[in-house]
Amino acid sequence: MHKLIGYTTLSIGTLCGLFCLPVLAAVTEYHIELKDHLFFPSQITIPANQKVKLIIENQDNTPEEFDSFSLNREKVIFANQKATIFIGPLKPGEYTFFGEYNPNTARGTVIVEHKKQETPDAH
Amino acid sequence: MLINTVILFLRDALPILVLVVYLFVHLPTSRLWLLLCLSAGAILSLIYINQIHIIGQWFDGKGIELSLWFSQFLVYLLTLVLASGLIFSHSSNRQVMYWVAGLMVSLTLVSKGSNFILYFDGYLHQSNVLQAMLLGTFLGLGICLSLVVLLYLAARWLKQRFGLWASWTLVLVYATGQLVNALPLLVQVDLIDTSATAWSSQNLVSNEFEFGHLFNVLFGYQASPSIAQVIVYVCALSIPLATFYWLKLRLASHSGNKQ
Repeated sequence: MHKLIGYTTLSIGTLCGLFCLPVLAAVTEYHIELKDHLFFPSQITIPANQKVKLIIENQDNTPEEFDSFSLNREKVIFANQKATIFIGPLKPGEYTFFGEYNPNTARGTVIVEHKKQETPDAH
Repeated sequence: MLINTVILFLRDALPILVLVVYLFVHLPTSRLWLLLCLSAGAILSLIYINQIHIIGQWFDGKGIELSLWFSQFLVYLLTLVLASGLIFSHSSNRQVMYWVAGLMVSLTLVSKGSNFILYFDGYLHQSNVLQAMLLGTFLGLGICLSLVVLLYLAARWLKQRFGLWASWTLVLVYATGQLVNALPLLVQVDLIDTSATAWSSQNLVSNEFEFGHLFNVLFGYQASPSIAQVIVYVCALSIPLATFYWLKLRLASHSGNKQ
């Protein structure tokens, strides 16, 4: 019985492990600031089919949760702290994100395009 | 602020209440047990929040995601232990099952409840939002409790109609959903690779709407799940169901042969 539970756990663990592939490629970084419960810039353009790194800096004195249903991401960013989230590879389109604690003001969009564009906020 | 508080309750309080109700139906027990579990979970949540900045620095800044994912994984494993209690229903096992259930509630409280503490700690001192937050709390709690009462009645009916395995299956479906919901946490810190989207039912039931939130809590509904999430979901649900069903049949035939 205990062996069977062990095998079941092992199989599920192995399946989870199958997806745990090391990521060696360098990723482009994009910086977003959160100030007065607003994202700056509120729109960022990223290349399609490529993983990118979002670095979000919360300059407010209250915490915020970066949330996106279309990107399937959520992360708490503490007051006056930075947080890093990886997104992509994504298909071309628009993906909205918002601050869960201030969804009326803290809103933004990730625009995914085939053609890689040089944006001033991209580093 | 009112709507935000209501949504926060739907997203974070509802999973805790649903698990408590399912376990309460599965293992009918005293109110003292429930109070103890909730108190232990609340204390653990406070400790977690108190140490969250340190935890966040673990594993190269991936500590929060890893700890949250691990707590969901533990809840899932404990659900399997609950099933073993059904197979070997000794009186000594019963006490262990209460501990297992208590641990499940406490872990869920840590992962979901910590979000509450952060939210209320961050905004409660702002006098202009206090009224809206309190109103949102009452509304959110009211909606959650109404849903939970309906779920309690449905779960109890299922248990009476189909037995203990039915109430355990409810717990398994819930735990599998939460496990799959936690997978993007590993993707967002680049620990696992993302995979293509399996389908998109955003136009049908979006995760942003009330039904999306409810289905997400009940069975881990995602409007646009990745292929990895679908594979993990199917395996995490079907393997234990098949294994325990086979074990149940085997034990039944074994005891039949003895007689």
